Amino acid sequence: MKVEYLNPFVEAAGEVIQAEVQLDIRRGELAVQHSAFTADEITVLISLVGQVEGLALYGMSVATGLALVSRMMEREFPEFDDLAQSGVAELGNVITGRASIKLTEAGLRSNISPPTLIQGKGVKISTLQFPRVVVPLIFELGEIQVHLALRARDRRQAGVEVTRALVDVRRADG
Amino acid sequence: MAKILVVDDAQFLRVRISRLLTDGGHEVLEADNGFNAVQAYQDGRPDAVLIDITMPEMDGLAALKEIKALDSDARVVMLTALGQESVILEAIKAGAKDFVVKPFDAERVLEAIDRVLA
Repeated sequence: MKVEYLNPFVEAAGEVIQAEVQLDIRRGELAVQHSAFTADEITVLISLVGQVEGLALYGMSVATGLALVSRMMEREFPEFDDLAQSGVAELGNVITGRASIKLTEAGLRSNISPPTLIQGKGVKISTLQFPRVVVPLIFELGEIQVHLALRARDRRQAGVEVTRALVDVRRADG
Repeated sequence: MAKILVVDDAQFLRVRISRLLTDGGHEVLEADNGFNAVQAYQDGRPDAVLIDITMPEMDGLAALKEIKALDSDARVVMLTALGQESVILEAIKAGAKDFVVKPFDAERVLEAIDRVLA
């Protein structure tokens, strides 16, 4: 997956977390995952359709989710109830919406689906059976694991990418 | 004090905005989609409406048009995501008075409501 797809999500997450809970985020180390199973207690799943398509997932612990919504609502949430679930889903929605605008500004228009909230580790998502980049976003209230499995939809664009990659390989070969 | 109709499919945002407006001394009605918003407008005749654009059943733009058909003087503020400029333009042409861009900003919400109520 191209880095130009990743940066808009990291930037958008930073802006939204700053606006919502007034905290800075730090980006952790990138990793690649292939598992079709969720690894976090809470996962917000949003699809992208358009010139860039695929999935964006935001994984976190229940404690982080509760800390986020408590701070956003300025009251304590002891349980991850319907309102807290809606708050975490909305956070993922706003981050993805903002990231999709950044992609559009870079010439890659896409629309996003409404957020789906998945609770529990080890939930199988059949569409996750392809490699995805995972970047942890670390901040004072915990961590959000941003999973991105995105690709260019337009075959001509994909063809250009392949051609560029081949040119790069040939250059590297001398 | 005014009666404000808050329309958003996200419960969290609805509750958050409602609390902000209630704390400011306003009475709040809520609806979770455009269809219910039109019904709530007809039943409650609020002084202003704050409505999200992207919603199931009936989106905010369609609801705005139906509300303006019911009451051409309806004062409606659109709640939008960044990048919905074309929809915002269409909403303003359809009679929306102002718009607020997410993420949630309490001051901006109050400012927009104050402006349409003035």
